[in-house]
Amino acid sequence: MLKYFAKRFLSLIPKILIISVIVFLALQLLPGDALSRSVPPRVYQQMTESQRDALRESLGLNDPLTVQYFRWLGNMFKGDFGYSQSTGSNIGEMLAARLPSTIELTVIALVIASVFGILFGFLASLKPNSWVDYTNTTMSIVGISVPEFFFGILFILLFSVKLGWLPSGGRMAAGHPGFWERIPYMILPAVCLAISLMATLSRYTRSAMLDVLGKDYVKTARSKGISETAVHLKHGFRNALSPVMVIMVMRLPMLVSGTVVIESVFNYPGMGSMILDAVSAGDMPVVMVTTMVIAVVTLVASCIVDLFTALLDPRIRFSS
Amino acid sequence: MEQQMILRVKDLQTAYYVGKRRVNAVNGVSFELKRGETLGIVGESGCGKSATAHSILQLLPKNGRIEGGKVEYFPKEGEPVCLSECKRTGRKMREMRGGEISMIFQDPLSSLNPVYTIGDQIIEMLRAHEKISKKQAAVRAAQLLDKLGIPDAEKRLRDYPHQFSGGMKQRVMIAIAMICNPSLLIADEPTTALDVTIQAQILELMQQIQQEYGTSIMLITHNMGIVAEICDSVAVMYMGRVVEYGSLKQVFTNPKHPYTVALMQSVPVLGMGKDKRLVSIEGATPDGSTVFKGCPFADRCTKAGPHCFDHPPVETEPEPGHRVSCHLYTEGGAAE
Repeated sequence: MLKYFAKRFLSLIPKILIISVIVFLALQLLPGDALSRSVPPRVYQQMTESQRDALRESLGLNDPLTVQYFRWLGNMFKGDFGYSQSTGSNIGEMLAARLPSTIELTVIALVIASVFGILFGFLASLKPNSWVDYTNTTMSIVGISVPEFFFGILFILLFSVKLGWLPSGGRMAAGHPGFWERIPYMILPAVCLAISLMATLSRYTRSAMLDVLGKDYVKTARSKGISETAVHLKHGFRNALSPVMVIMVMRLPMLVSGTVVIESVFNYPGMGSMILDAVSAGDMPVVMVTTMVIAVVTLVASCIVDLFTALLDPRIRFSS
Repeated sequence: MEQQMILRVKDLQTAYYVGKRRVNAVNGVSFELKRGETLGIVGESGCGKSATAHSILQLLPKNGRIEGGKVEYFPKEGEPVCLSECKRTGRKMREMRGGEISMIFQDPLSSLNPVYTIGDQIIEMLRAHEKISKKQAAVRAAQLLDKLGIPDAEKRLRDYPHQFSGGMKQRVMIAIAMICNPSLLIADEPTTALDVTIQAQILELMQQIQQEYGTSIMLITHNMGIVAEICDSVAVMYMGRVVEYGSLKQVFTNPKHPYTVALMQSVPVLGMGKDKRLVSIEGATPDGSTVFKGCPFADRCTKAGPHCFDHPPVETEPEPGHRVSCHLYTEGGAAE
């Protein structure tokens, strides 16, 4: 068991390295002076050409690519990500300010999506072709097919403008930075972000449950004379959860990229709006670094979900 | 005194609904099982053997329903229970399942839940019917596994099903079925998915259980050889009907129904001459939703006359306890 976990975590390292190589090479392909990405733009403008040459030499920009790569990687580990070309601010500082809010939003959306998605799917599977099932199917189809920004606009109009229950945007009121005070600000964006994943999970949970309930071991369980609830939960749900987890892992990157749209709809200061600004300004260093960060976060998250799957299914645990 | 009855099935009818189509899986099946005896139910695939077994414990899939007839169970003490009138998931039905009647299935590979240890799965059964601590339950489970020939039983309780071989898994299934010491064991093709050498071991094990605990066994199989080996009485099924029913001796030494005869000729016997041919039954089993005007076997029967196609056969009793549904044995029946 521990061996499997260790193996799974260690396998993250080569994956992250491969992504870093891709990002590094993409950075090299960028047009313009590499030096302009290593010093703040204002400083760069004030320098003479000879000063730039000297700085290039001292920063090692004339070194072979491999040497540069490892130095760049080392800097990344130290938290030095370079500078934004459009605003001139330190990318590391930008990340520090925005990454936590996006992680917060994504995690809350993930919790909403998995709890409600799996719950609805489970309920629908207990009575297939009943009104519960049909309602769930209809809502899921709407959830999957309508884009999330539409829900965003709809929710703002309904819950903020018309009813005035929740704030329409931002992350916190001035002077109230506590987690619980931020919750009202997060409800609408998190729900919008969760809808599509929730719908997908509910569909998959329903079909996985129906699949498992038709299995022979469920018949064995029934033949033991245990209650229907125990049959459904202990033998049905527990076994249906593994395939649902797999879908969750596959959909995780979509959840993260969904933040880009949702954060700008709700004017939420996170990575999403940072990426959007950088892309529209052609600010490649920021785009690359944020890509890297999102890739790493997604990898780590899917690794954690994988571990849950292994906890659920002994066959995975022991086959390693 | 006559031997006590344990199970009586009378005119049982079970149907599956596939869309709007109704498939009659069991069409008026009747038989009895006496305490401590073994009843074999034989027939081709799709003849309603399993549907009969599942009807007894009401383990039919959601689209299956008992449409008529009666299943009565006679416990050691107390009033007989009419199983077919119990609610499918009701308390009484659940008490019967596992506690009085348990079942083992065809494919031990898929009959055990892959995510729980076999200890969990045996103990679950025990704790559903007896007030017993987990620790004591584990001790009982280990004792039983040991008795059923699983080495190192105490340790193996903590193993998962995929760590067992097919034969061992079936032993575990038998352990689950037997842990509450039920009076009746329904075995639905328990050896079909196993190697031949393992088959013999499992059958032997079942006989051993029967001798030790006095359990009655209802054995469902398509293998006439197995029936000859361990059964006391036989019901031959075809298209959801019992076409011939009697004691092992009656059915084997004096088979009446042409289908029974054909079924027996289609099984190879060790030592039979090389020149002797195995007989196959012409044609295929008809579709389950077919409604027959006459005898359902008439199409494939070598002895069928015109009468057979138009009139349903009536059950006759050529000798006491030996029942057969064939026009050959009714007055004015099939003309050769």
